[in-house]
Amino acid sequence: MRIVIDILIVLSILFALAGVVGIIRMPDAYTRMQSSTNVSTFGVLGVLIAGILYSIIYLGDVSMAIKLAVLIVFYLITSPIAGHAIARAAYRSKTPKTPQTIVDKYGEDLEDE
Amino acid sequence: MKKTTAAAFFGTLIVCYIFWLLITGQIVSIFTGDASWQILVAGGIVSIIVSLFAARFFIHKKAFHLYNPIRFFLLLFYCIIIFGWELIKANVSMAIRAFGSTKNLKPGFVKIPTKLKSDYALAMLSNSITLTPGTITMDVVEQDGENYLYVHCIDAEKEDMEKAGKDIKGAMEPWIRRIWE
Repeated sequence: MRIVIDILIVLSILFALAGVVGIIRMPDAYTRMQSSTNVSTFGVLGVLIAGILYSIIYLGDVSMAIKLAVLIVFYLITSPIAGHAIARAAYRSKTPKTPQTIVDKYGEDLEDE
Repeated sequence: MKKTTAAAFFGTLIVCYIFWLLITGQIVSIFTGDASWQILVAGGIVSIIVSLFAARFFIHKKAFHLYNPIRFFLLLFYCIIIFGWELIKANVSMAIRAFGSTKNLKPGFVKIPTKLKSDYALAMLSNSITLTPGTITMDVVEQDGENYLYVHCIDAEKEDMEKAGKDIKGAMEPWIRRIWE
């Protein structure tokens, strides 16, 4: 069972690394945000799930596991809201897009208003 | 400002009290028989005060919608199986993209239609889309009685609105409709 917990932690570290590398390499603000969701989903969820398994199996502390599960619920509810807000604010304050962008329906519709 | 209805108050009260039991660890103590009555009573008082203030923001209509056990298990099933599978697929493809070449990315802002109507369903769909790596919901608008989402998508190859929508929403939309409508 220990090996499952270790694999989960290593996997989530790998995904967090991929997210950080993506943040450095992507061309503009929006694609960087896309890459950062890699960190904020698997990077966090893997560690938390490993924590749940560890506290049930090795610590025998079910209330700790329940607290971690509640943490997952709140994390999944609140973290995307910051994502919407940052992306929308970036667009409205005219952050430059990469020239590779192929369609921009949002900009077209904003100009019509 | 909306008024607090009794149904909304009790709906919020139950959610608050369940979360109190979960984070104080009393839910385990109840089963082992050493729950402390002081913590239970204090939680009740705090829940009543909180739900008096928060009920009108939390529940607008159909207060006991999710207390139907079938809907609740559908919600759990969606969160763990359907959404989990979408997360795994998107995470792997995004991780590969981060290490690969960034020259041939085709990001774009697409507009996708959705058939969902209620506030909670729309919020859940846009949160699910944002949590999936590769797509971020930027805005929700209502035009001629239809709801549309603006999504920034890192691989916007498809110009067609319906097709792009099907690609981004995947299996998530029908499940959310089953849960909330």
